[in-house]
Amino acid sequence: MSLNIHQLGYTYPGSRKAILHNVNIDFRSGEIVALTGDNGCGKTTLTKLLVGILKPKEGCICLDGNDIALMSLAEIGRRVGYVFQNPSQQIFCPTVEDEIAYGLKNMGLGGEEIEKRISYYLDYFELSTYRQTFPLSLSQGEKQRLMLAAILAMHPRYVILDEPTTGLDIYRRKLLGDYLLRIKTDGYGVIFVSHQSKFMETYADRIIRIENSQVTDDQGEKSDARS
Amino acid sequence: MRDLDPRSKLLMVICISTLAIVYQEPMQLLLVLLVSTLILFLVGADLKKVMQPLRKMLPLLLLLFLVQCIFTRQGAPLLTVYGIGIITDMGLNTGLGVMLRIITIIISAMILLSSSERDFLLALVQWKIPHEIAFMVMVGLHFLPILREEALNVYYAVQMRGTELQKISTSQKLKLYTLIMLPIISGAIHRAEQMAISMEARAFRAFPQRTYMRKLRLKKIDYCVQIGAVLACVSLLVLP
Repeated sequence: MSLNIHQLGYTYPGSRKAILHNVNIDFRSGEIVALTGDNGCGKTTLTKLLVGILKPKEGCICLDGNDIALMSLAEIGRRVGYVFQNPSQQIFCPTVEDEIAYGLKNMGLGGEEIEKRISYYLDYFELSTYRQTFPLSLSQGEKQRLMLAAILAMHPRYVILDEPTTGLDIYRRKLLGDYLLRIKTDGYGVIFVSHQSKFMETYADRIIRIENSQVTDDQGEKSDARS
Repeated sequence: MRDLDPRSKLLMVICISTLAIVYQEPMQLLLVLLVSTLILFLVGADLKKVMQPLRKMLPLLLLLFLVQCIFTRQGAPLLTVYGIGIITDMGLNTGLGVMLRIITIIISAMILLSSSERDFLLALVQWKIPHEIAFMVMVGLHFLPILREEALNVYYAVQMRGTELQKISTSQKLKLYTLIMLPIISGAIHRAEQMAISMEARAFRAFPQRTYMRKLRLKKIDYCVQIGAVLACVSLLVLP
């Protein structure tokens, strides 16, 4: 499973300046990649392009060699999970359990398998006590974990998180980081957007900096070159 | 006309909308549409921005036109198939009328976009509308784009969890839309609560009188436009 960006460029409608230009990145499975850069440099835009919410104006993004511009959001979503900066905007079911089950039902899984995965991921993300709770009443960190659970339950190959550490205290940041390491060892590719250098240095295998619409630093690529 | 007071613009929009609602004949409505487009151009609105919602609404407008054409049975038949009248002259008139009326109302509303929302708040307050109500209207308008963005995010999230919108039935789609409303309503309530706290923390309604840093002043052109708009509207409505 591969996720590659070739010569990517994007300009928002009505804007003359490209927010991203000539971006080339290869994301690998089993790797945690941090995207960083100043506010408004195009990090979130890049993540939205990676999941097909925005369509590239130049270049392409390939998932297993297939251009994602030709795929539906549902097809991409089964392979690339996305946690928004504000997870409240992607929670829409009446209970925590239903939230996790939603994607699994769409995948056509049987009741027994759905139940198994719900229990596993509720336990994995320490949400079992909230099983019948209204998800929008959870705390920010719990909502984030719920969204990770709902997305990982669908067994995508990549998970993208937009500024996941926003509003989390040190303990919860560590919990999140440990979850990321756990899912990395399970073979998931993780891409997250962050401004927190300590968090990135602790948990990311590779840090990509975006500046002036382009990738200006790719530590992973450098370490590959050195090796 | 570019620096017209927002009150003059509001008055023109009220007059145009009234004429668009009262008039029934396509020719009359076309005339009102032309006048409102001219005003829109004169107040310096971005015509590209105006065309965007109209373009998006075009399929709906055409559908309305067709429904009115086909289901209005009165009048002389214009198109018959095997002796059955499909379109009548009255149906065509009604269809055109509905389409022109909606376009006119949208275009006239666009006149308001050429002034800032802060100016409109001042305009409403200077029309002696209580500040609380004027503020509520402005906040409502201000939050519309945010609500739209949130709705889009939920819409994307639903699809990213495996929902093929093109492949599901209408009843499933309706069920889905009720789900989509859940985070939007919850978010709106949460935001309203936060905003109420923030406003009260900054002395909203704490004192009997509220002052404003700026005051809108009517210029000569505003008086001319306001008197002209009201006179034109009343005479057009009264004249046979």
